[in-house]
Amino acid sequence: MAISAATKAATDALAVNRAPVSVGAQEVHRWMQSFTWDFEKNRTKYSTKYKMANDTKEQFKLIAKEYARMESVKDERQFGSLQDVLTRVDAANRVHPKWNESMKVISNFLEVGEYNAIAATGMLWDSATAPEQKNGYLGQVMDEIRHTNQCGYINYYFAKQGQDAAGHNDARRTRAIGPLWKGMKRVFSDGFISGDAVECSINLQLVGEACFTNPLIVAVTEWASANGDEMTPTVFLSIETDELRHMANGYQTVVSIANDEAASKYLNTDLNNAFWTQQKYFTPVLGMMFEYGSHFKVEPWVKTWNRWVYEDWGGIWIGRLGKYGVQSPASLRDAKKDAYWAHHDLFMIAYALWPTGFFRVTLPTAEEAEWYEANYPGWYDMYGKVYDEWRARGCEDPDSGFLPLQWFIENNHPIYIDRVSQVPFCPSYCKGASTLRVLEYNGKKHSFSDQWGERMWLSEPERYECQNIWEQYEGRELSEVITEGHGLRSDGKTLISQPHTNKDGKMWTLDDIKKINCVFSDPLKAL
Amino acid sequence: MSIEVSGGRRGLTDPVLAAEIMAAIPDQPLETQRKMNYFMTPRGKRINEYEVLCCYTQPTPDWIPGGLDWGDWTQKFHGGRPSWSNESTEMRSSDWLKHRDPAFRWHALYVKDKAEEWRYTDRFLKAYSADGHVRSMDPVWRDEVLGDYLGAFGFSEYGLFNSHSSVVRDCLGDTLRMSSAMIGLDKVDNAQMIQIERTFLAKLVPGFPESTDIPKNEWTKGVIFKGSREVVQQIWQETYDWNEILFSGHMIYDPLFGQFVRREFFSRLSSYYGDTLTPFFINQMQLYFSQTKGITTDMFHTCLAADEQFGDYNIRLMRAWADKWLPRTITSLKDFMGIFSKIPEIKGVSDKPAIEAALGRVFDDWKHDFADPIGYKVDTAALIKTVLTGLK
Repeated sequence: MAISAATKAATDALAVNRAPVSVGAQEVHRWMQSFTWDFEKNRTKYSTKYKMANDTKEQFKLIAKEYARMESVKDERQFGSLQDVLTRVDAANRVHPKWNESMKVISNFLEVGEYNAIAATGMLWDSATAPEQKNGYLGQVMDEIRHTNQCGYINYYFAKQGQDAAGHNDARRTRAIGPLWKGMKRVFSDGFISGDAVECSINLQLVGEACFTNPLIVAVTEWASANGDEMTPTVFLSIETDELRHMANGYQTVVSIANDEAASKYLNTDLNNAFWTQQKYFTPVLGMMFEYGSHFKVEPWVKTWNRWVYEDWGGIWIGRLGKYGVQSPASLRDAKKDAYWAHHDLFMIAYALWPTGFFRVTLPTAEEAEWYEANYPGWYDMYGKVYDEWRARGCEDPDSGFLPLQWFIENNHPIYIDRVSQVPFCPSYCKGASTLRVLEYNGKKHSFSDQWGERMWLSEPERYECQNIWEQYEGRELSEVITEGHGLRSDGKTLISQPHTNKDGKMWTLDDIKKINCVFSDPLKAL
Repeated sequence: MSIEVSGGRRGLTDPVLAAEIMAAIPDQPLETQRKMNYFMTPRGKRINEYEVLCCYTQPTPDWIPGGLDWGDWTQKFHGGRPSWSNESTEMRSSDWLKHRDPAFRWHALYVKDKAEEWRYTDRFLKAYSADGHVRSMDPVWRDEVLGDYLGAFGFSEYGLFNSHSSVVRDCLGDTLRMSSAMIGLDKVDNAQMIQIERTFLAKLVPGFPESTDIPKNEWTKGVIFKGSREVVQQIWQETYDWNEILFSGHMIYDPLFGQFVRREFFSRLSSYYGDTLTPFFINQMQLYFSQTKGITTDMFHTCLAADEQFGDYNIRLMRAWADKWLPRTITSLKDFMGIFSKIPEIKGVSDKPAIEAALGRVFDDWKHDFADPIGYKVDTAALIKTVLTGLK
């Protein structure tokens, strides 16, 4: 339209209509796909064997300011609850001590995942070519910052107001001492950020978020609430509202590569590897945190796992992607077996290594033992009687000079670390499916506990050669390791970690550990 | 009672559960140190909430300076490249976690500000339209300058936005990773605000083209943005060093080209052409510029240039990067001078002396805020003279 005609039209229009007009977010978003342009060197810095389509759309059509408005509203509700009513009722001091300890781990380890997801979705933002898809990933980058801050807020809140601040107040420093940390890094850190960009998306969005954050972020709120913790549901359910966008991003990632030839060749293998990677850690660790880290139980972990992982994810969610050639992972059947016993096996090892934790851990009480036996028949003969023996030998009492780790050594049950998952396992004393496999590579021995991890190793050993805690601590005395890893309370002598949460129980000190003279050795060297 | 509870019973409010929980709770707190991250060195006198919630979330081992972890990466890229590595940048630091956003904005504070800006934008647009302000806008300014060239500038902002993706992936510090994401979001917000303005004008002015086709054509094929397009593409896709991306974008290109285009062209001139709409949006962009400047000068001046161990080396590298990116930015500005031939000249406003004065303000600011702190010698008069050769 010629300028003069346009001007006249504007004036005429305004003469009859001066209604207030604004611009909605969707009116801007609809132009977003045209915000980019082609140029010669326009390519991603992170290679992928898949080709993401240029016209991929996003499902959550947000612009920057609308994103901020939406998140701000959620923040107001969440921080309002935390800082007002929950503080006034002294809620942090009305949480069962066992659960208080679990939240030291759960919140901090989830924070690790959220933090690494910032970098992961930064990589996907770079890899995608469609502006809408980039925008979806950008929204997730911002969400992951939010969630990192939120998880930190849980530890911050418990430290400031709760019954035992130690561990909550320095989890980012002390978490690296113990046996659960390296496995956490594999699933929630490096697994999200190091590799083919789409492979990382599958790890993060298609498996991590669509599968395991449901039990980790949603189911955990029921356990928290039952045990008196209303802070965690307040924060985690707010986090979960953003996770829907992330699942949609994962879905769109698959849609964007669906027509690419590479997808038919590699997608299901990548999905299987990602699923096994994630489940190898989360199946035992989440089950352990829920069941052994709580006083009041909601339901057996195996039921939760079956509902969220096997039926909802393996069946419905993956089923929806079936039209794009996605199949349920071949390893799902083996994972289902792990869901029954693996967390019981891991708890034995975690308890045996309690001095290296940054939280207090508790042996099952008599009523809990009954509950385990009722839900996992055969539990007592395998685990319960051992815990009775440990308790009889004074494992909770610092004067006893007994660490459960000694029981494994005395009975010739070496604890190995699976090289690919970094999860500890004891092949000679377990009810789960772990079997010892040892391979040599680059002049070193490497142990594995299952065929799926071993396959990943055999394909690309250079990706998983990470040193494990036995190799790191070889020849070191336990109290030295604790001191070096800052595993002490503010009095400089009492351990953060303790083998009980009994309020009348005596606390272990560094001197108690020194007296035992426990020296680490790498079991692979004995083979 | 059974330890298995069902039906959504809550330990805080259910009297039976609550009694059992309270009986297990220690009589006194077990730990007196209640400050999270108590072990860290705060930027100010005390550890603030931003530092509690953001610092040391980065799980890097201690061989990446600042890291608290140990050992190797548990999974690496195909071929064995590490997850994060010192080699990802030529800059050196004795503590990659030292950076702080001077405004101490963690996520909740950041989105709260932007949400308020969005609500205020909505109210402003309604008032502006109801008041009939658009009638006073010069038609050439509106249809050509805002329709075409402001729209084209949106692509510069969008390209810079995209340059942050690899910074968010690769950088070695937690606070910087979060700051970089926020800077990136601000840049795409700028691009979107430009489209908001164009969509808004299309609603008020029948025939005003809302489509991005003409601006994109101007950006990709026109001569006015040729230099800037090339710089943006180089920052976005040809630069792999994440520090260099931030430095070239926010210490050279945007403080010079971006500042001239936003502040000295669109914002300063708009009122002379009856446009009170554009400054509303540009002022938001300038706020973001100011916040970004705080972030990047903290990183490059307060942290890297002042690093006790590597400061001298880092300053030399910054000067080398300035040598690389400054000429390209000068070319961008020179090309942009062509825009003045497209608008009706206003004496003392858009004539050569006024343009020279505007360039003087931008270059003086840049010299004072960005060049002098790293001892970068620059003849701003000569640079302005070069830019002015672009006037038609």
